[in-house]
Parts: sequence; structure tokens; C-alpha cells
Amino acid sequence: MILIFNNIVAIFRKELQGYFKSSLAYVIAGVFWLLACSLFVSEVQLWTAQKTAGQVVDIPQESLKSFLSGMWWLVMFIMPSLSMGLYAEERRHRTLELLATSPITNWAVALGKLLAVWTLFMTLMVPVGVFEILFLSHADPPITAGIFIVGHLGLFLLAAAILSLGLFISSLADSSILAIILTYALILILSLLFLLGERWGEPWVAIFDQLSLVKHYVTLTQGVLDMSSVILFASYIVLGLFLTAQSIDLLRFQRR
Amino acid sequence: MIEVEHLSKVYGSTTALQDVTFAAQPGEILGLLGPNGAGKTTTMRILAGYLPATKGTAHIAGFEVHEHLMAVRQRIGYLPEVPPLYPQMTVEGYLHFVGRLKGLSAGDRPQRVRWALEQCNLKDVQKTLIHKLSKGFRQRVGIAQAIVHNPPAIILDEPTIGLDPRQIIDVRNLIKTLAEDKTVILSTHILPEVSMTCQRVAIINYGKVVATSPLADLKAQQTDQLTYELDVQGTINTVEQCLQTVEGVLTWRWLPVQSSDRRKVRVTCNPDAQVGSQLTHRLVHAGVAMHEMRRLGTSLEEIYLELTTQEMDTSDADPSTDTEDTP
Repeated sequence: MILIFNNIVAIFRKELQGYFKSSLAYVIAGVFWLLACSLFVSEVQLWTAQKTAGQVVDIPQESLKSFLSGMWWLVMFIMPSLSMGLYAEERRHRTLELLATSPITNWAVALGKLLAVWTLFMTLMVPVGVFEILFLSHADPPITAGIFIVGHLGLFLLAAAILSLGLFISSLADSSILAIILTYALILILSLLFLLGERWGEPWVAIFDQLSLVKHYVTLTQGVLDMSSVILFASYIVLGLFLTAQSIDLLRFQRR
Repeated sequence: MIEVEHLSKVYGSTTALQDVTFAAQPGEILGLLGPNGAGKTTTMRILAGYLPATKGTAHIAGFEVHEHLMAVRQRIGYLPEVPPLYPQMTVEGYLHFVGRLKGLSAGDRPQRVRWALEQCNLKDVQKTLIHKLSKGFRQRVGIAQAIVHNPPAIILDEPTIGLDPRQIIDVRNLIKTLAEDKTVILSTHILPEVSMTCQRVAIINYGKVVATSPLADLKAQQTDQLTYELDVQGTINTVEQCLQTVEGVLTWRWLPVQSSDRRKVRVTCNPDAQVGSQLTHRLVHAGVAMHEMRRLGTSLEEIYLELTTQEMDTSDADPSTDTEDTP
């Protein structure tokens, strides 16, 4: 058990150090910060304009909800670029054979990689979070802590689910470019499943609503701690890890 | 220490390994020899716990690779054909990472990494990023990762490929040093590599082990025929008439002509007969000038070619294309 934990830590550290040495990661971070902060400011300006126009609006709360909803697109755009190389690079450098002949399970490797890339995302969110707190700390009326916490929990869960599925796609693809394209396609399908449900009618509406990433994310950004949403994201995370471990295991049976 | 019994591996309809059996003891270097696609890498991957075998068993340090996969992985050092390196890591950082993966404790790791760096002559480049290293250094880093956790069994797939002669000698010496208390299996295409490094050899062809024994025994097994190479000056007819009259001459083969009047002929004889002296006597008396007469030893190359082409010979043999003459 200690060996497995140490191995997860070894993979986690290796991946995280790799990101901090990669110029691509800094470019992604710069783009993320620019877009996230711009989105936040534009949402505040939008709601302020509506209040100025005479509507009764809780500007801090509505701004935060809109910002978190908008973050969906940013996370969907950025996360696949972080996950694309997780296994594709291992295949390119022929290092999978090292991992597969070390006393470490495919699950542990996948978990270590996911935790590392998720930690990177949370690190990216730190400056954005500080920016939000500074902006909202003097808000009138004051922001409800529950909405802030649950909304951000939803954001972190959404990121983890996309990263986990991206991890799986990366384990299938030989190139990072192919991995990012396939991840975008998969995430888009999973996000817009509810549209398909609406087109096909019952019982697909209920089924696809339950599977849709967008629907559950929006629920959490409204400050509603819906356990079914949390369970859905957790399921996607576990599913991604499971499929990754299986696909890496299958590589052993291919003749190369 | 490493025991392989009746190992088979089938990929779909292709049989990569068929009933492979061999063993290697501690302190021994076993060379796996065979042409491309013979099954050497598949064998090594099974031993390293990377591939499951379709049939058969393989024990490393007492653990069966399929039943105790993690225990085996802790006890082997494996260098694949392409060293598994992370280009953005430093040599030292990479070895620490591998040490962690292999289960070295935080207390032992720095000492083991230092040892591996020293053994592979990597001290001078330990802070260098791997992508900046030459191929020879990368190969050495690959060997260092295979030994950093002090495994009792080391499996090296083509360890000297791409190295310059100086580096090849260094790596051979390193392997010999490692084998003092460990079991080493290495595969190679370079036949002198086996002669210079290994005590025993297992020759694999078409997924089967066609020979496995100490090198000396293998050479002895093949000496059921004796071969002389003669450099003579005279007509073909005269030489052949002499060869026909010497008892014990089995076959001969003319080598490509060196010049218009000098020729080389390779004569295969029965080793029990005193052919050499009779041959010289007859040729000289027939007026054939003899510039050189050389008894050919059985080289590893010849043994290897004989063992790995037997199957092809028996299936493809066509009497009409036989160029050898017999008395």
C-alpha cells in the first residue's frame, strides 16, 4: 500500500515538474488568466449596466453565477490542451515500457497523472480566485459564501471530469494533436447531450439530461449542492481513470 | 535465478514464441541470439512482466512472472531496445524518479543513484538534461535506470546498439561487473558481443530455442566436420583429381577467383582422418603450387548461421542449385 502511494506521488511529482518546465504550460496559463479575468470583468460590467438601466439586480451574485457559467467554455477549451500529452508523450518517448515494467499499476499511473494535471488547473485558478475575492470582498449586498464555494466546487469537478476523459483519449492516441481533437469532440458531445434529448423526446430527455455535463455544472454554479451532480462528475472521473487503465493494459497485448 | 519453461506467445494467428525453455544462474551472463523477428524481444518483455505469455512459466528470483507480477517487477532491471527516457529531466532527476517507481526508500535512494551514476560513468552529466545527451550517454542512462534499484536479475535488449567502440567496451565491462552477483540476460545481433560478454548463449529462431549451452560446448558440438581453405595455383581439374583421391575429403567448394591462375578452395573433411598431410602431399606431387593452407575454426558466426538457417535449408533445398562438389 505504501509502495502504491509512493508511486502515485512519484508520477504526480514527475508530471507537475514537467508542466513547470514546459513553455507550453506557461502560454496556456497566460491565455487562461487573460480570458478568465476578462470574462469576470465583462460579467460585472454587464450586470452593472442592467442595474443602471433600472432593473433590480444583485450584481455580485449574478455576476459570479454568470462568470462561473461562462467558465464552462474556457475550461472546455483549455483542459484538453493540458491533458493531450499525458500519455501521448509517454508513447512518443517509449517510456510506457518503463512504467509497465515497474511495480506500479496502470490505475496508480493514471491517478498520479490526473492529480498532477488537476493540481495544475487549481494552481491556474489561484490568481483568478484572488481576483474574484478582491472584486467581491467589497460587494454590496455581500456575496453568499455558499454560492461561491459550491460554484467553484462545480468548476473543479467539471475540470477533473474533462481531464479524466482527456487522459483516456490521450492513452489511445499516438499524437497530442489527435488527442486534443478527439477530446474536444467527446466533451462537446457529452456537453450537448441534452440538446439531443430535446430533439428525440422522452425518454431520451431524462436520460441525456442526467448524463449532460453542462446541465449538472449549471446546477452547481447556481449554488445548489445537488449530490446527483457531484456523483455524475465523480462517475466521469472514475470512468476516465478506469478506461485509461484498461486501454494501457490492452497495449500489452498488441504486437509492436 | 531466471527459469523459463515451455514459454509460448501467440498474437492472433502468429506464433511469436513456441515452447521456449532456458535458465540462467546468478553470476551468469546469458546471451539471447537470433535474427530479427526471432522472438528475443518478446521473450524479454515476458520476463520483464510487460507481456503475458500464452503458455508456460517464467520464474525470476523464485517468483513466477504471471502470478507475482509486482514482486517480479521489483526484482528486475530492464533496458528495452529504445531506452525509456524523459528528455526534459536531468540524468539525476530521472534516476531518482525511477528509484521511487521501483520502490527505493527515501533514505536509500541518494546512495543508489550515486552508485548507478558512478557505475555508468555518468557523474559528469548528472545535472544535464537528457535531451542534450549523445546517443551513447543516453544508452548508459538507460542501463543506469535498469540497475539503480539493485535488482538480482537484469534484462538488456541490445545494450550496445548505436555505441562507438570505446563505449561498447565500457558497457561490456560494466555488464561483466554487474554479473558478478546478478543474473544478466542480454539480446544482441552483434555476434562478437556474445563471445566477449556471455558465458552461455541461447539461440532463438522462428520463436524456438534452437540451441542453448555454454559457448565452448556449442562450438564443440559443431566440430563434427573439419574445413581447410587452400590457396592454390594450378588447373581446376588437377586440384579436383587430387581431392578425389584423398580419403576423408567429403566436399569442396571453389571460392570466387582471386586472379587468373590462383584459386581458393574450401575443403570439408572427416575430422577423424589425417587429411591435411595427405592433401598437401598429393597436391605438391601433382605440381600444384600451394600458397596457403588454413584450417578454419568454427566461429560463432558459422554456428549461428548453421543453426538459424537449418529450417530454411530443409524446406527450401533444391538439389539443382547445389554448387558443392563431392568426390
